[in-house]
Amino acid sequence: MSEETAAGERFAIGIAFGNSSSSIAFTNPDGKAEVIANEEGDRQIPTILSYVDKEEFHGTQAKAQLIRNSKNTVAYFRDYLGKDFKSIDPTPSHQSAHPQQSDSTVTFSIHDTSNETPSTVSVSEITTRHLRRLKQSASDFLGKTVNAAVITVPTNFADSQREALVAAAKDADIEVLQLIHEPAAALVAYDARPEADVKDKLVVVADLGGIRSDVAVVASRGGIYTILATVHDYELGGANLDQVVMDYFAKEFIKKHKVDPREDVRGLAKLKAECEATKKALSIGTNATLSIESLTNGIDYGSNINRTRYELLAAKVFAQFTSLIESAVKKAELDTLDIDEVILAGGTSHTPKIARLVEGIFPETTQVFAPSTLPSAINPSELAARGAAYQASLIQEFDAEDIEQSIHPMVTVTPHLSNAIGVQLVSADASAADAVFRPLVNANTALPARRVAQYLAPKDGGDVLVRITEGTREIKVTKPEPKAKKEVDEDEEDSDIDSDEDEEEEDIREIVWKATKTIAEVAVKGVKAGGKVEVTININSDLGAQITAREVGGKGGVRLAVESQPNGSA
Amino acid sequence: PALPQGWSAEKDFKVLSALSSATQRNVEPVGPHFLAHARRLRHNRTFSEDDRI
Repeated sequence: MSEETAAGERFAIGIAFGNSSSSIAFTNPDGKAEVIANEEGDRQIPTILSYVDKEEFHGTQAKAQLIRNSKNTVAYFRDYLGKDFKSIDPTPSHQSAHPQQSDSTVTFSIHDTSNETPSTVSVSEITTRHLRRLKQSASDFLGKTVNAAVITVPTNFADSQREALVAAAKDADIEVLQLIHEPAAALVAYDARPEADVKDKLVVVADLGGIRSDVAVVASRGGIYTILATVHDYELGGANLDQVVMDYFAKEFIKKHKVDPREDVRGLAKLKAECEATKKALSIGTNATLSIESLTNGIDYGSNINRTRYELLAAKVFAQFTSLIESAVKKAELDTLDIDEVILAGGTSHTPKIARLVEGIFPETTQVFAPSTLPSAINPSELAARGAAYQASLIQEFDAEDIEQSIHPMVTVTPHLSNAIGVQLVSADASAADAVFRPLVNANTALPARRVAQYLAPKDGGDVLVRITEGTREIKVTKPEPKAKKEVDEDEEDSDIDSDEDEEEEDIREIVWKATKTIAEVAVKGVKAGGKVEVTININSDLGAQITAREVGGKGGVRLAVESQPNGSA
Repeated sequence: PALPQGWSAEKDFKVLSALSSATQRNVEPVGPHFLAHARRLRHNRTFSEDDRI
């Protein structure tokens, strides 16, 4: 059994609390986050509680009760927490205990005691019981009582929901160190890997869940994340794919036996449970079987489906996922060419076809992190829990007051650069308009920021001019043939070198940087032949900047300061 | 980047204009780099001061 954690000491884990499933993770002494399996061996623990003769079942065991004991089984309750009864959508709970109104909160009427009359249990209480079980599983595994946690929440979780979650966790004797957003947790999970290199990039985090999907576009600048746009779809998730499989098998069953198993409550529950398992099998193998004992009217049913057919039937749902991702990029006022990485999170991201379709909407240079497109990808179901565990390990030493102060809006609301700042490479005889612009500090970088880069000086050395400018990126569409109709994404950073002219009748879309405003000019004199010039730029939060330019290996260099005042010194 | 002929300035640099205004956005309070940022802000340190400690 677990040993008691000493008073005043914290022992924290990461909890990913989802509507369909939850995970728990901890950070091992080497600093690597690991997901904990509960006593049943599940790492994705269904967020379900069920009561049979006053005994409480949790996770997979409770999920099995959806068939025989649906009225005393509570599922999909995360999004009800801290909400008004009128504002919830109870659709997902139709096949389990129904949410009911009691004052302003949401309750469930379930037989959780040996009494004849059902008791009314609030959703907060249900959450507390669920978190208590998760805590118990983690404590049993780690051999030490867990008393603190970092919990992940969706980006659009309202303050009332956050408060309700913290209160419910407190009732389960869990101190919530911090609530972090799911996309940020996924990013941290990837950036915490030892092989990850933290650089400036634009990332799309697509969290494809069981009954909802959330996509966030995040600017990652020097390891600091800024969410640029989010979109949510509460009717899109793995459940839609389950429905596709269910409809397919139900139709087959009707053909054979002239009964629709979906019209029978228990038959529907059985079919749903099995079809979900079949869908999961199709993410791993190319063929999956389904067999249900006594599906309806006492008829046993067995059949199989291959991946090609499944992908054909689910094509419509897959397209909804990709258009959700595209709409998020659009909402951030970006182009798919701007995106450097796509992180697929959530259980539905295991589907190979979704990862391939997502790859298709982005240029080839964009990396898609999913098990089927990148072998080194982290299990998408575990991302949120790992990120939370990592964050928990970072802050568990801090005082509560310290954490509070650090996550205060005073700290999190930060000025961000509106335009990229870069260095223009000017050759002696070219006019300024021809100069190539290289971004050094990207747009949407949180201030203060510091960047250093080295540039090759002209071959024969001599004096060098470094021109610091602001720049914007534009999408240039080149039409090689006048009758071009189709659009194709081609990403070429260097606009002048590469050209795919041989691809006829297709527009070539590429990113072009345009210098808009010169900030400063610096001369570095007497650079040796073949030498490099190093440019350091420091931007303060008041938009003042210090720029240093020097020859690599040389001494001194030129320093200058740009005033924060608009229309400052010239 | 070669120096164009006839370019000159005092002490070899000149400032032409200030940066365009910034936009206020929320950063995610997550990860080691953010915590470093928060530490700097709360103690009012600059990058180089922080490096020294």
